[in-house]
Amino acid sequence: MCGIVGYLDTSRGSRPIGTTLLAMLTALDRRVPDSAGVAVWGEGVDGFTVRVALPDGDELAAHGTRVVRRARELARVSGVVAHGPLLTFDIGKVDAHELVAALERDGAAEVVSLGHRLAIVKQVGAPRNLDTEFGIGKLAGSHGLGHTRLSTESRVDLSHSQPFWAHGTPDLAVVHNGHITNYHRLRRRYEQDGVRFYTENDSEVIGVYLGRKLAAGATLHEAMRDSVRELDGSFSYLAATGDTFGFAKDPYCLKPLIVAETPDAVAIANEEIALHAVLGNGYRAREAGAAEVATWTTPPARGRQKRRAA
Amino acid sequence: MRTIDCHGRSVRDINVELKTAIGSGERDVRLVNPDARHNLAVAVLTDARITIDGPVGYYCGGMSDGVRLTVRGSAGWGVAECLLSGEVVVEGNAGNGAAASIRGGTVVVKGDAAARAGIAMKGGRLVIGGDCGYMTGFMMQRGRIVVCGNGGPALADSMYEGVVFVGGEIAELGNDAVVSDTTAEELAEIHATLERYGVKGPDAFRKVASGRKLWNYDTKEREAWKAAL
Repeated sequence: MCGIVGYLDTSRGSRPIGTTLLAMLTALDRRVPDSAGVAVWGEGVDGFTVRVALPDGDELAAHGTRVVRRARELARVSGVVAHGPLLTFDIGKVDAHELVAALERDGAAEVVSLGHRLAIVKQVGAPRNLDTEFGIGKLAGSHGLGHTRLSTESRVDLSHSQPFWAHGTPDLAVVHNGHITNYHRLRRRYEQDGVRFYTENDSEVIGVYLGRKLAAGATLHEAMRDSVRELDGSFSYLAATGDTFGFAKDPYCLKPLIVAETPDAVAIANEEIALHAVLGNGYRAREAGAAEVATWTTPPARGRQKRRAA
Repeated sequence: MRTIDCHGRSVRDINVELKTAIGSGERDVRLVNPDARHNLAVAVLTDARITIDGPVGYYCGGMSDGVRLTVRGSAGWGVAECLLSGEVVVEGNAGNGAAASIRGGTVVVKGDAAARAGIAMKGGRLVIGGDCGYMTGFMMQRGRIVVCGNGGPALADSMYEGVVFVGGEIAELGNDAVVSDTTAEELAEIHATLERYGVKGPDAFRKVASGRKLWNYDTKEREAWKAAL
């Protein structure tokens, strides 16, 4: 019963993608909002934008200082913003794995998202709190994903909230509705290869799966196409990177996923009510088919283009 | 004619007003701004004419008996589920399980119908103007499905009785589904139905029915059962 939404703004309209995602999620929020979150691919930085969650406790400021110090040892850090247990900063060019290892050493922090363009904002509670707490309505970008969760099998906390960044793969994030029934088998196999899992949530394995395929040279489309045969269960999921946006549906078509393409946008959600909330009446909705995978190339980051032109 | 504006209202509130209007003798009701809400116009037990101007969510018109419902937009899962009699017309596409388990009446989807259209039908008629999705007609027991476009994978899987007519290509036949020629009488009836609802279809249709091999369990045919289950 999780609500998943995705929006690709091909026309790069004036409405911030954050406002669009918020409207779509709010339309789905009666699906019991245990937690909610959005992933937005914004204008981009040359290095990485990093969001980390600090451990709960009284020494938040000390944890934050320690994490920033570790980041500064690797590259130049700017734009540090703290919001409760969440810390955001930009960092210059650095190896992603080295950075994550440094930040997470001794449980100092958990990296929530990392990428040239990706930023994930999520928390326990209803979607509308994301705007009052974090002002996600103002987030700009070319595409984004959103999730509102009804927890069925694992804990309700920040780590178990979606979207999931595919830990270790910059800019790759996933939202999922359904159950991955071969999760334990896949997880065991990946853990033998040294992959660390951060949650007990079966959805996490999708990002790990896709990240490994990308690392082996597959495109996101190819990785998603393979996933509908190698992941078992009932699922609809959306995945995106800085340059690709798409969806995948299980071979038995057990979970809903409604898709609408207009000249200006691609909007996807598991209820049409979320599409109608942002597209009005000017679209034609269709249900995705069994084992269907579709991806779109996203427009390049606007800010970076401008910088190059200047 | 009564017009009900759904804007800003709960589904229960809308359905109560709809039922009250019909109960007081209104024969023609129009719903505007449905905005893809679920469960609109369910269990309507008269032959009132209802027009919904826009998209609807899940289960629209389900469990109705006699209703004459038109959706001027797309429909989500389970449109007209368990219809007993009457007609439900969707002018756009329909989600999974369109006309599932209907016992009578006619359901028309002018666009495409997604997975499991017309599964477990026990009578009635489902007309699809476009393509149909995975497992259409699965375990159908009676009635007719007409698909003007292409048939999806596992078409007409494990049917008891009932027939599926397909105008386009068939991606894959389901277990125990057998193709035969459509008779002139059947074809005339199909074209009359299409004409009645303003659906454009091809001249020829193939007929898919049960091969009846799965009707009874036969220990000599264990392999067929293993494939079906």
